[in-house]
Amino acid sequence: MSKASPRSSAVRAVDPTLAALFDVHEATLPNGLKVRLLANHQAPVVSLYTFFQVGSRNERPGITGISHLFEHMMFNGAKKYGPKMFDKTLESNGGRSNAYTSNDMTVYYDDFSADALETVLDLESDRMRSLRISQETLTREREVVKEERRVRVDNEIPGMMDEELGTLVYKAHAYRWPVIGWMADIENITREDCQEYFRTYYAPNNAVLYIVGDIDPKKTLALVRRYYGGIPRGPSPAPVLNAEPEQKGERRAIVRHPAQSPSVMIGYRGPAASSEDTLVLDVVQYILTKGEGSRLVKSLVYDQKAAVSVMLDWSWRIDPGTILFYLELKPESDPAQVEGLLYAELEKLTRDGVTEKELQKAKNNLRADHLRELSTNSGRGHALGHYEALLGDWREGLSLPTFYASVTAEQVKAVAAKYFAPERRSVVTLHPDAGANEPGDDVDA
Amino acid sequence: MASRKIASVKNTVRKAAKAVRKQATAARKKVAQVRKAAPARARGKLKVVPAPKSAATGELKLPALHESTTSTGLKVIAAERGPLPLVSVRLVMRAGGAWDPQGKDGLADFTARLLRRGTKRLDADGISEAVEFVGASLYAGVNEDVLSVYLTTPAEHFSAMLDMLGQVVREPTFPEQEVVDARERALAQFANDLDDPSSIADRAFTRAMWGEHPYGRDLGGIKRTVSTFTREDVVRFHAERMGPRVSLLTVVGALAPETVAAEAERAFAGWTGGPDTPPELPRKQEPLARAGQVLLVDKPDQTQSQVRLGGPGFWLGHEDYFPATAMNIALGGGFTSRLMNEIRVNRGLTYGVSSYFDTMSAGGVFGLSTFTKTASTREIIDVALKEIHGVRDGGLKPRELKDAQSYLAGLYPLRTETNESVASVIADMRIHGLGDDWVEKFRDRLRAVTPKDVARVSKKYAFADRPVIVVLGKASEVKPLLEGLGPITVVPASDYE
Repeated sequence: MSKASPRSSAVRAVDPTLAALFDVHEATLPNGLKVRLLANHQAPVVSLYTFFQVGSRNERPGITGISHLFEHMMFNGAKKYGPKMFDKTLESNGGRSNAYTSNDMTVYYDDFSADALETVLDLESDRMRSLRISQETLTREREVVKEERRVRVDNEIPGMMDEELGTLVYKAHAYRWPVIGWMADIENITREDCQEYFRTYYAPNNAVLYIVGDIDPKKTLALVRRYYGGIPRGPSPAPVLNAEPEQKGERRAIVRHPAQSPSVMIGYRGPAASSEDTLVLDVVQYILTKGEGSRLVKSLVYDQKAAVSVMLDWSWRIDPGTILFYLELKPESDPAQVEGLLYAELEKLTRDGVTEKELQKAKNNLRADHLRELSTNSGRGHALGHYEALLGDWREGLSLPTFYASVTAEQVKAVAAKYFAPERRSVVTLHPDAGANEPGDDVDA
Repeated sequence: MASRKIASVKNTVRKAAKAVRKQATAARKKVAQVRKAAPARARGKLKVVPAPKSAATGELKLPALHESTTSTGLKVIAAERGPLPLVSVRLVMRAGGAWDPQGKDGLADFTARLLRRGTKRLDADGISEAVEFVGASLYAGVNEDVLSVYLTTPAEHFSAMLDMLGQVVREPTFPEQEVVDARERALAQFANDLDDPSSIADRAFTRAMWGEHPYGRDLGGIKRTVSTFTREDVVRFHAERMGPRVSLLTVVGALAPETVAAEAERAFAGWTGGPDTPPELPRKQEPLARAGQVLLVDKPDQTQSQVRLGGPGFWLGHEDYFPATAMNIALGGGFTSRLMNEIRVNRGLTYGVSSYFDTMSAGGVFGLSTFTKTASTREIIDVALKEIHGVRDGGLKPRELKDAQSYLAGLYPLRTETNESVASVIADMRIHGLGDDWVEKFRDRLRAVTPKDVARVSKKYAFADRPVIVVLGKASEVKPLLEGLGPITVVPASDYE
């Protein structure tokens, strides 16, 4: 792990373009709810985000998937707005809502017409204050989530491989199981489990509210106080222990499933979001797979014609995450051979490093993508929440440009050498197998 | 990451999504989203436009449109918009998949992909390097009607990037080896797509709806047609179909309109070729190819069935657009729609269900898309048909219509939030003759729809005749469940490679 987190590192300057975009008004209510408000009058719309610091990371075997199942339950009725009324009220007022759950957090968001602001605050505060969890809605919502699992994991090749990879990379940590949970756990989570989850993690002191768009920050804060101020504070949730042991060598698994082509998914153990290495890995990710001229796309897809596509995902996480590669191959390919080509590229990176031009290109693209992300209210709200949840303070996001600009070729080389070591690697190979799941097999028993 | 609902399953008008069909494959989307992180330092040479200060008026206006025409006959529209130092460009040509030559399905799409694989001045690597170095992106895609090239760039690099856009459309060289490689990649992708149940169901549905009509072709082509593509095919397509007189260039972002006009003149100087006037398909609602029939695509490894239902719709700019759109929001648009309520909320049969109008320049369809576990395949179809027929026979309640109108009117401004979306809506307004007041008047026109209007269009579009039914799943278990819905044809998934 690197010595310094971004927070503790010496003064990192805020990017002036970003500073101008982020005139954020902040407050913390007496019950612990943090509020961040940002005006943008370009269109008569508003985005509201609520970040709860809870995800599959906070689960345990037996209730895997509860964070996500519970996320669904948040739309099924509270005290003032009963069953079906949340969506009904919001949509008939010119708004829409959705949510997602990740390993580390659960995020709710609403986009709506600016004149619906007070209605949305009423709706959102109602469910934070007094969610009602009925057995009937839980039973039905469970079926919906099972269909979600079928469509994303059980009937999707990358989904099933990703699930397999998780259990290889992690032995002890809760990142081991998929966010959507194991099918048997989804079946068995009880109403009491959900109620306990609500009490523990959905208290105002475990949440941050972001409101971005056509608003008056002062008036909006007064409204937030009125609607959320009376919600009682909850106990502090128990911290999550990271008991993950050191990895001593490469780990491998095979998935047999009817498919046209083999494919390969590889995970290297990465650092935690708070490590500076994480930001250097952002640069590495861009050098390897951003654009047709990036190293891996050019080499594996265009020059050597060994892969149909190559993907690299490096997503920040609270505890050490996974640097994930996914190679989509051609029919009749030899996955071992393509794996070898990938490793050769990674070795080249760790041995020879990168050119100044490549480095500058990655920085230019990081900046352009960041600006694009910030071009909508929703993008700005999400960015604020994402930085605050993973780096501890949304301001860290404003100084990221300065950090990226300072990354050197030596840092890139050192970080690549550190994380792309074979003993940090887990590999899942899909073997196309027409014999598996013949008609008549009951795979969904 | 898991969530409550698949984001934007289907939009009312799905053109934009279809234009970039398969740029990102289903596989790549599903694993994880490649997170976008952050940047370096601002040093703009070009002036940045401040955000308009019209606070909370609720009004919706596009930036002023500045029109010009280059000496070669290319129409240019510039719209100045800040505050971010970014520019979005869309070059749209009437050269979509509907005009693929006989037996060459997918040629427009194939040509579009090859544009940036070599020009008279640069090879593919040179182009990638120039575009990607500055943080710009450049790609091309097709839908049924048009071929579009999309460019987004930091404003300070606009001039160089527009020049690149000019190069790739004016003088692509289509190197032989690039054509061979692209063909091989496309064929491998077709094979792998057989493992993506939702794409195959969509392909089967399109073919079942349109049959021999040009809109029934697979936009990306199929194994049989793409295998025959040669460099000559591509060169001919480029020369005959792409040219300044059938094109429109839209530029939206932090740039003065005079700059845009001057740069366009320079970047497209000397561009010749293509037809003099845009080709048109006759506007006519063709009979559905498989009305009243059931097509069952067999994929034995599935534990879930993909379900598609469809009937006739209408073309872009049709007078039924607003009442039909309001009807669809209430029937299968939002989270409180009748279909969502009955199928997901009350019965837990699926994770996602939506209905939509897919509108093209000469025709369109009304469709439904959903999925469920194998055992409930018949139930989900029955419930969906019952709901659609309910609207056909009874229209909407006044309150339902009012809610649908408020919903869409409230969210409509989101469609004009980014430079990309503004560039797209401008192109659509012009190409399909929607009128320059389309955005401004959209909400008034929507709010003017009456229950009587809805009743009229419901009778027309909510399956007045028997729909096309397409199911992809484990045929041995699904087929008995479908008895009585109509004649059933079972085909293997490999028919759609």
